[in-house]
Amino acid sequence: MKDTIICRCEEVTLGELEELAKKHHSSARELKLLSRAGMGFCGGRTCRQAVDRVLTSITKKDPTDALPLKVAPPVRPMSLVDLGGAAKDE
Amino acid sequence: MQVYDAVIIGAGPAGLAAAIQCRENNLNVVVLDEYPKAGGRLLGQLYQEPDGTWWNGIEESKALETKAEQLDTDIRLGVSVHHIETLDNQFVVHTKKENFTTKNVIIATGAAESPVPVPGWTLPGVMSIGAAQVMTNVHRVKVGEKGIIVGINVLSAAIAQELHLAGIELHSMVLPAKHIISGEQANPRKVIDDLSRVAHLAPSKFIQFGSKFAKYKWAQNLALQFYPKNGIKMWEMPIHLRKAIKQINGTEKVESVTLVDVTADGEIVEHSEEEVQVDFVCIAGGLYPLAELAAVVGCPFQYSEELGGHVPIHNERMETPIPGIYVAGNITGIESAKVAREQGIVAGLSIAKKESDSPDIIEEKLQTAIENVKATRKAATIQFHPNIPEGRANVSAAFSKIIDEQKTETTKEKIS
Amino acid sequence: MNNRIENHPILGELEKRKKVTFQFDGKSYEGYEGDTIAAALLANGIRTLRKHEESGNPRGIYCNIGHCYECRVTVDGETNVRACLTPIKENMVVESGKVQPSPLDPSKENIPRTYAEYMEMEGEK
Ligand SMILES: Cc1cc2nc3c(=O)[nH]c(=O)nc-3n(C[C@H](O)[C@H](O)[C@H](O)COP(=O)(O)OP(=O)(O)OC[C@H]3O[C@@H](n4cnc5c(N)ncnc54)[C@H](O)[C@@H]3O)c2cc1C
Ligand code: FES
Repeated sequence: MKDTIICRCEEVTLGELEELAKKHHSSARELKLLSRAGMGFCGGRTCRQAVDRVLTSITKKDPTDALPLKVAPPVRPMSLVDLGGAAKDE
Repeated sequence: MQVYDAVIIGAGPAGLAAAIQCRENNLNVVVLDEYPKAGGRLLGQLYQEPDGTWWNGIEESKALETKAEQLDTDIRLGVSVHHIETLDNQFVVHTKKENFTTKNVIIATGAAESPVPVPGWTLPGVMSIGAAQVMTNVHRVKVGEKGIIVGINVLSAAIAQELHLAGIELHSMVLPAKHIISGEQANPRKVIDDLSRVAHLAPSKFIQFGSKFAKYKWAQNLALQFYPKNGIKMWEMPIHLRKAIKQINGTEKVESVTLVDVTADGEIVEHSEEEVQVDFVCIAGGLYPLAELAAVVGCPFQYSEELGGHVPIHNERMETPIPGIYVAGNITGIESAKVAREQGIVAGLSIAKKESDSPDIIEEKLQTAIENVKATRKAATIQFHPNIPEGRANVSAAFSKIIDEQKTETTKEKIS
Repeated sequence: MNNRIENHPILGELEKRKKVTFQFDGKSYEGYEGDTIAAALLANGIRTLRKHEESGNPRGIYCNIGHCYECRVTVDGETNVRACLTPIKENMVVESGKVQPSPLDPSKENIPRTYAEYMEMEGEK
């Protein structure tokens, strides 16, 4: 099970997440930055819930009302070119 | 620059129903959806109502789309929204090609599927259960020759029947193996308990099995203790509450899966491995509200197990604490498409009232629409959680609290 | 090869649609108007749409509704297009996603690879 990929985009395994979380006593956000889980192309839409669960299981905390992982725009991947002003206003 | 009365994100049942209300009240709206067809997740749905009639998602979607078109609704498909920005008292909705400036936004982005990671689940041929539903019912393409479903819940039972109807062979339905992510979904006791609580509502044969055997705790225990080795059959396909998937095998694509026996508590029985040849695997981890755009625009959230996860806080009128931002459909909690549609009507009317010169007339309609949401919820054939009304009440309470706090703040400011 | 569900007891017979020819990795395939790239390829027996850019592991559709980005391909020169959302068009040229040479190891260099990552890193400071 340790070798199971949790974050498909960045191919981060359960073992890697657990190890990092234990070593650094990390919050969800720190774990995300350390491991890159949830930072790939899908923006965490697929693995966010699984990453959260790994964390709650390690920290033994129930989920809180605040989103465990911040959501940053763009919520769909954009190339920097598209972001940089190609957008025209209606 | 054109300023819209409302930009509606999502052309599912919620978004389309909202658009229809807005257009009936002559508002200037645009509906944006990244999928190439209108209808959202309603498109793939196909199940039998207790009265024997079929709920055909393609036809239901068509009906909504046609109505919207008759009202000259601007629906743009294949357009992904990636950001909502607040600008003075307006919003700018960002898409790749262009930006839309608007007074109001309805976020009706629906739900996404929760994962159940299984070793080997990145192989081609492994897909979410919803992927199989869409491929089968919307695209009418076979997902494979023979498959297996991992995860036993209301949605996977419904979709198993749909695959069977389409003539696609399924080996069985099994549980995910117990680990920190699968959690309760790997516990046969929890699974049978969940199914029994929806037994009186759900249409499928399996659920009827649930109601027979599993209404009482003692009966559930017995059922699990003496659970037949070959599973219990539904549409020629065994449902295994005492088998779990250990891994998915293959090099270039799915070739087989390894199953193990589990105890009534979901613990793996040693040396019980068996290999089963399949060419596709469907993973059913349940649904959660897809609320990323609500987060980006700054909506406060509440966690609600009953509603499927973190939901943007809102009231019965589908208003969020951010004036001008509305939500409707599964983003507010996982429920059936009929509820989503009624919620869309409420959201549309709320905006119509806000923008109207004679709000009193609309208020009356709005009250009726709010009652319709509740009535539809009560009568729903498919319920994803037994305590949805409780979850809803908590979210409404959270909304009131925020508004009260805002009021106190303004009073304080006035005094000082 | 035909993986189409021609007859369905409730949804009825598959409606007749116009044939569309498109290319995938240099080979020609047929699909029908309204098919997504992913559906048309699966109907032709093709599941693998890309290789993971670093590990080279094969990938196909996962969510089929635009959420997971596992199906991303190059369409008429545009990279990272979701095959599950994009309808095929006559003479469309589709290329599978390939392994990328990755000279940059962001864990060492601390270079953002996506915009979301860039935002996160900015937030750090
Ligand atoms: C895979 C799946 C299968 C389901 N199957 C069933 C079922 O069999 N029975 C049942 O009762 N319920 C099912 N549901 C629940 C379903 O969510 C509701 O029945 C109903 O469709 C919800 O309606 P909605 O309008 O809220 O959202 P949806 O119908 O999901 O529509 C939301 C729309 O928003 C679009 N969207 C999302 N984000 C963006 C963005 N950033 N930019 C542009 N467009 C965006 C999507 O493409 C989608 O078309 C399923 C849900 C999912 C996710
Ligand atoms: S399969 Fe998930 S985005 Fe296309």
